[in-house]
Amino acid sequence: MSYDKNNSRTMSRRTFIKTGAGAAALAALDTRGDFVKKAFGKSATRGKVLVLGFDGMDPHLTGVWMKEGKLPAFQKLAARGGFSRLGTSTPPQSPVAWSNFITGMNPGGHGIFDFMHRDPKTYFPIFSASATDEAAKTVRIGKYVLPIKGGEVRNLRKGRAFWQILEDHDIPATIWKIPGNYPPVATKQRTLSGMGTPDLVGSYGIFNYYTTELLEMNEDIGGGKIHLAYVIGNRVDAKLPGPVNTFLQDRPEAEVDFRVYLDSAAAVAKVALPDQEFILKEKEWSGWKRVRFHLMPTQSVTGLVRFYLKEIRPQFKLYVTPINIDPADPALPISTPESYAAELEKKFGPFYTKGLPADTSALDNDVLDEGEFLAQDGQILEESRAMLEYELNRFDSGLLFYYISSTDQRQHMFWRLQDEKHPAYDAALAAVYGDVIERTYRQADEILAQALSSIDKDTSVIVMSDHGFNPYYRSFHLNTWLLSEGYHVFKNPFKKEETEIGFPSTDWSKTRAYGLGLNSLYLNQRGREGEGIVAAGAETEALVREIARKLEAYRDPKTNEQVVLHAAVARDVYSGAHVGEAPDIILGFNRGYRISFQSPLGRIGQEIIENNTEKWSGDHMGAADVTPGIVLTDRPIRAEAPALYDLTATILQTFGIERPADMVGKPIF
Amino acid sequence: MGVLNSILGLIFDGFFAPFRALGPWPGMIVVSLVTGIVMLLIFKKTSNQDAIKRAKNQIKARLLEIRLFKNDTGGSFRSQAAILGANFRYMGHALRPMLVMFIPVLLILAQLNLRYGAASLRPGEQALVKMTLAEGASAEETATSLQSSDGVVVETPPLRIEEEREVDWRIRAEAPGLHLLTFNVGGTAVEKSVSVGQNAPAKVAALRARTFMDLFLYPGEKPLPKNSPVSKIEIVFPPLRLPLFGGTVHWLVAFFVLSIVFGFALKGVFKVEI
Repeated sequence: MSYDKNNSRTMSRRTFIKTGAGAAALAALDTRGDFVKKAFGKSATRGKVLVLGFDGMDPHLTGVWMKEGKLPAFQKLAARGGFSRLGTSTPPQSPVAWSNFITGMNPGGHGIFDFMHRDPKTYFPIFSASATDEAAKTVRIGKYVLPIKGGEVRNLRKGRAFWQILEDHDIPATIWKIPGNYPPVATKQRTLSGMGTPDLVGSYGIFNYYTTELLEMNEDIGGGKIHLAYVIGNRVDAKLPGPVNTFLQDRPEAEVDFRVYLDSAAAVAKVALPDQEFILKEKEWSGWKRVRFHLMPTQSVTGLVRFYLKEIRPQFKLYVTPINIDPADPALPISTPESYAAELEKKFGPFYTKGLPADTSALDNDVLDEGEFLAQDGQILEESRAMLEYELNRFDSGLLFYYISSTDQRQHMFWRLQDEKHPAYDAALAAVYGDVIERTYRQADEILAQALSSIDKDTSVIVMSDHGFNPYYRSFHLNTWLLSEGYHVFKNPFKKEETEIGFPSTDWSKTRAYGLGLNSLYLNQRGREGEGIVAAGAETEALVREIARKLEAYRDPKTNEQVVLHAAVARDVYSGAHVGEAPDIILGFNRGYRISFQSPLGRIGQEIIENNTEKWSGDHMGAADVTPGIVLTDRPIRAEAPALYDLTATILQTFGIERPADMVGKPIF
Repeated sequence: MGVLNSILGLIFDGFFAPFRALGPWPGMIVVSLVTGIVMLLIFKKTSNQDAIKRAKNQIKARLLEIRLFKNDTGGSFRSQAAILGANFRYMGHALRPMLVMFIPVLLILAQLNLRYGAASLRPGEQALVKMTLAEGASAEETATSLQSSDGVVVETPPLRIEEEREVDWRIRAEAPGLHLLTFNVGGTAVEKSVSVGQNAPAKVAALRARTFMDLFLYPGEKPLPKNSPVSKIEIVFPPLRLPLFGGTVHWLVAFFVLSIVFGFALKGVFKVEI
């Protein structure tokens, strides 16, 4: 029994299970042995499983720093059980890899092949993980459009999540921010959605930046809006753009007006939102601010932002985070049960709900500098640790999965400062931030130590990552290569590049292949693509093999290194009901190489390959065999080459549950 | 007004003293009960009870008439007109007690707002302090500074907004207690209290001012002197909501619902015709 802040008594499902634990002895003859005991129709598990997921934690770096004694908790756990490379997905992108773990299947089974899929009829990129259907029926009253039959947000991953299978067997689970679970799949387990959760605008995260400086966004990176600000009489008037207002016929962006008052001499300003005001000094972050967007009379939606007053003079610079969905009153589904997000908000106050909250786009666009980015990611990590402690303290049965994003995000942004060979290496910055990745791994070690100190002897521990990391020195323009090889053809033969998405310059009547997504290549197949010309069957088979062979043979003209280590043909590497939806070829890059920033949305650069001078300098789009993750357990690992989907099978085995027939993973113990 | 506020403040302090340690609800329930009874008695003394009873009986009789003679359309209309007339008479009889009660209720509401309108700052919590200068003064040209007693930290330099004659600061609460902010405005010292770590129904004075209306609505502190260079000082405390069945409720809703419920429940005991 627990008491909330208002002294109202609540009895959670876990409390119920715990209360009934005394009766568990009666079920001693359960075929699942000692691990799971039946109590009043629910299972109170004496044994528990804690899974800590550190996104992108690399086995090489982990091994080196373990040997150097910098990760004592990792060493301690490895000494008790095992430490191994963990086979990742093909391709090793987070949505794909985590889906392998969630379902115990490979992409052919769960149907997530890339961050981006494409609409074969229009050749336009679409998000792979979720889809939003607008209201099926609406009625117009004057300027208002009212939904009659509601729309919905769908999780596009196929297959059942392991916590749904646990639920079938009455094993309780808490799943905290696992990537690829937006919207959360139907379950009574406690789950909070993670990577893939949009901001309130519906994107993967759009920051707003108000400045008197003339700046432009890097369109290839995107992720923000820059607003030109005017300081008039020590005052700046601005608007915070919110979600599209679908209640209005012309669907304008909802907005919140705000005003910033600047002191004429001191470096201090007051931000006045419609219902609240607060003061910030220069270089200061605000706490969470709740903003309400009015859509129509009786209808509004709230979101959460933090402000950062970067500079007052000589230039005015104010950064506003992407508008996070308010967990106290979520406009979109972010948890199961719905009350779980609100419960966390009540306990901890507002928190980051956007999938990957650290604003890498702001750092990439020079809106935030390295220190400011780390300050923001530090807030995120602090929030995560506080909630982990809370969950560990009430973890009395079943499974707890906990996810940390900072390991991934910081490796993406700070690899260049620990690697002198990187084209974006900066000695001055490296002197300050060259050890950020090492410090982050040490923080991961502290988190593991925190967890190990909180659990009892009946708790099994699995520490895992979805993939490792590689340097990203050189960018490969897949469509430019296809153009050079004659597989892709422009309508205008003199045209050299394409800056728009959707291939508006492509002559589909002569184009046989195109690249879209981070590792994906598609043939322009007749009957499948809108203007396909390659016949299914033998012609497709021959062309796929030919392109794959040529891709693997391609050498970087500057270094003579192989760029694409493996050009995998989908049906060779995938199994399951959804292989037919896969890209035709999945590119696995060599260490140091990645798809260019322009390629994933179908833009086409002039050069086939060029240096990567962006701050986004570490990556994991490599071939699976050069980008493995880690697994660390408190029991010896018997499997020779454990992989992500094997962990799923291992979890089920630990609770005595048989693997479903479509699960390809096998237990690692 | 300042004297009246002081007297009322003492009365309400005494009233709420036994409930300080019991959380917000016991005090609210008892004050609603007492208010309900007092309002009943005022209503009884200041209204024409016989006339009210007569008007209500007429309404009941006419309603019965409509029910009995529902086939007589003309009769029904006449009855409805009579009900309307009786209603107006009833409201007319209620007007005098309402007018008599209006000012006392406002004074009670102001005292309750002082105790239930805003939450005391929690240690570590920040708040905005807004000082508005007197008419004709310039925020830019008037030398201002702010000092705090122990338990509160002033976190920012003054932010001057000339067009609003306003100077703002941010403070952070550090330790529970009733602390003091001292504003130095062109050589004149002005003080304002800050409540930290106090639970409702402790007093949380959000505004110190000098206009009659502000004094009426915000009776928490002595009014500013008439010749003060400051016209008002406000601390933006977080709003307080009363916890109720896992949700929250505004104190005003709680007060009106409870006092009306108590009033109706006890009207028989006090033999009051409402």
